[in-house]
Amino acid sequence: MSFRAAPRGRLYGKNVLEAVFRAAPDEDLFLGELLVGVDEVTGRRYLFRVVDVTYGSEHREPGWAERVAGTMLADDAAGESGAHPLHDAGRRTYRVAECRCLGYVSPDGSSFRKPKSLPTQFSRVCSPEPADLAFLASRMGDLHVGNLRSGEAEVDVGVGIPGASLATHVGIFATTGMGKSNLMQVLAGGVMCRQGRYSLLVIDPHGEYRNALARHPWAADRLRTYAARPLPGTSGLRVSLGELSIDDLRTAHDWSRPQSEALFELERHYRVGDLSWLAELARVDDLAGFRDVELSGRVALSTLQVIQRRARRIVGLACIATDPGVSVGAAVLRDLRDGRVVLVDVSGLGSTEEVLVASFLTRRVLEEWSSAYLDKPEVHDRLPVVAVVLEEAQRVLSASKDGESNVFPRLAREGRKFKVGLCAITQQPKLLDAELLSQLNTFFILGLADEKDRSILRGSSKQDLSALGPEIQTLMPGECLLVNLAAPFAVPAKIDLYDAHVRSVAPPPAPRPSAPPNVAALVD
Amino acid sequence: MGVVAERLAALLDGGGNRLGGDGHGGLVAEPHVTLSELPGGQPPADLWAIDGGQATLADARCVAVVVVRVARARWRGGSCVAEEVGPLRAHLLGGDERRATLAHLAAAGLDLPADTVIDANLLRDAAEWESLAVTVEEAERGALVIVDGDLRPDWRIPGGWAAQILARAAEREVMVAAVTKHSGLARGGAPLVAVLEAEAEGDPALGPRARWWAAVARTAEAVQPALRVSVARLDPSARFAFRVDVPLACEPAEVLAMLAGVSDDAAFPGYPYPLSVVDGLAACPPWVKHDARAALDEHLDLVGVGLLRRERYFADRHRLMERA
Repeated sequence: MSFRAAPRGRLYGKNVLEAVFRAAPDEDLFLGELLVGVDEVTGRRYLFRVVDVTYGSEHREPGWAERVAGTMLADDAAGESGAHPLHDAGRRTYRVAECRCLGYVSPDGSSFRKPKSLPTQFSRVCSPEPADLAFLASRMGDLHVGNLRSGEAEVDVGVGIPGASLATHVGIFATTGMGKSNLMQVLAGGVMCRQGRYSLLVIDPHGEYRNALARHPWAADRLRTYAARPLPGTSGLRVSLGELSIDDLRTAHDWSRPQSEALFELERHYRVGDLSWLAELARVDDLAGFRDVELSGRVALSTLQVIQRRARRIVGLACIATDPGVSVGAAVLRDLRDGRVVLVDVSGLGSTEEVLVASFLTRRVLEEWSSAYLDKPEVHDRLPVVAVVLEEAQRVLSASKDGESNVFPRLAREGRKFKVGLCAITQQPKLLDAELLSQLNTFFILGLADEKDRSILRGSSKQDLSALGPEIQTLMPGECLLVNLAAPFAVPAKIDLYDAHVRSVAPPPAPRPSAPPNVAALVD
Repeated sequence: MGVVAERLAALLDGGGNRLGGDGHGGLVAEPHVTLSELPGGQPPADLWAIDGGQATLADARCVAVVVVRVARARWRGGSCVAEEVGPLRAHLLGGDERRATLAHLAAAGLDLPADTVIDANLLRDAAEWESLAVTVEEAERGALVIVDGDLRPDWRIPGGWAAQILARAAEREVMVAAVTKHSGLARGGAPLVAVLEAEAEGDPALGPRARWWAAVARTAEAVQPALRVSVARLDPSARFAFRVDVPLACEPAEVLAMLAGVSDDAAFPGYPYPLSVVDGLAACPPWVKHDARAALDEHLDLVGVGLLRRERYFADRHRLMERA
């Protein structure tokens, strides 16, 4: 005997892409709930997502419901609650659920197809059975982040993204407290478990990931942490001025046009392509004389003063080295090539210095992967997909930013073919450049309070989110919508708690004992 | 318009106790109309509600097809336990068809003169009385049967026939009450029910949230069936009071208290909820009318009356003519 799910309602209206069904007045329907329309005629099972629930009544007189509520309210005010019941409420009232049709499962359950046909009218609507959602398993990729969510219920269907989609750029959007950091930790944990297939460069401005990621069972082998200040279990973050470029400087600071021209003037004067001249400029005492003699008065003194002040701040940072031989750039690249999660803890640095470091490292990664792509394709093939994780991404991806020198827009536009992706985290997607936002092929949308933020995401998403505004608005911490090209629709998910993820991950296998030298020689 | 408004105002403010208005024929006003508080009561263990509906399917003025149906519902212990919607009975009115209709009514025990003018109102009223007769037989002792409208039968129906049904009800100790939503009774030219509502509002002994009732009339001595007519506000939150008829043998206060017990629905406090239910069951909404018309057309097609002829005979010229 086949299992027959209890009916939740009966379909009665709308079109191929939308459905409206009637349910009992006490049917507990949730925004975002996934339901199935069972078409007994064709055998198809249509997957619906509830986008709104309203009241319905058999009474057609205008103001009927308001009148009933008014009567009950008057009873409450008179201290006679319940004096006027609504007789036969189950027959006279009902609920109307408006749905988006996500597609249908073929009668044999083998494929899921986008909706192109209308389910038979008055089809039964019920909760999905496990087989209805089985098709998702093959599309959820190898970076598991949580479970499917139907309304408020968690469904035992894993949700994630293909690791390869890191290269097509990821956006994580949420207001404070909605679970961005937890999601990022779960993603990083997933990358660690993939044994070198993917790597992450995580720029952590708040020092919030260090302890959490270090607890991961695979951290010993798969996590490297660099910190701008002395912290236990980390390597020192040292960046040489000789490795920084003027573009890094222009990305980190806002420069006026005269200031930008002055930077190029100084670069020409010092005849170096890097920022090692910052140390010399910082040491100049007679700036007016330097301006008149060395620069022939081509730069305004006030402009030069600004540049020197910033140069002194940068040169004075503990993580900045003047010695070109002291830099973590090479080590970071090596770790990333080996498929590790590289955590760069820049807590303690100012926002601009943090961007300076991120810009430098991102540029190095992009150069390394792109040169391998262009010059050594066989090496590039073996390189893991790498993603640069950037918090408060609106600082470097806003429309007002200098697109010429800024490495991050270039990464968003060109990184895909080199297997380098950007993972942009922001609370304010509305501040991101629209064209750059459209380059992000994976969205993790967590709770967003601002309608402008929701609206901009609806317009840039790779799946139709037009009706999901209320659902996004009502997302609870840890709940998200996952949108990417692999998913057949915007997948509602409940993100795993990182602690639970850590507990559930099996420890890495013990390293295989290496063969004795004599045996190795035999094999050779 | 101004003159009419002045006259209307004079009529509404005129006062006086003379009973008049639509449906007052055969009624005698009570000498003293006294508003009394109505205690809330419990509905009887067995309660029935009856209502009828009608629709005109095709109307060529000289000849027409109408449908009539009656619905009833039964409540026990406060819950609806049965709903019955009678079949749509089609009648052909006009021409020489009177005889067939009269024969149909006679079969139900209603003998009418051969020259009786027959229309949908008569047919519906007769069907309601017929249903009441059946219900009186099925109801338990002590039951209450509520009818939509009043207990004065259509002017073409002999009062004696209706009186027999009410007498049988009394014999079986079944109470009958009829509730009129929009009464035409007048006192001194003004709508009687509204006048009493205003008086009750101003009566300090009652207050704005009182249930109240007043006996307003009874049938004249020779008029059948013998009735008592009251006006009652059946719920403290009711927006309106209603005319309620009971047979002379019934005690109005007792019946009204029972009615109050089923007039607590939040959607329309003060109107007996069972009547709302049967009203919905008996009504002939557009889709019912459309289905019935489609069935009629199908049968006419079978007997050779095609669409063109039907259009010619039954088209509503009012709808087709342009109006400036």
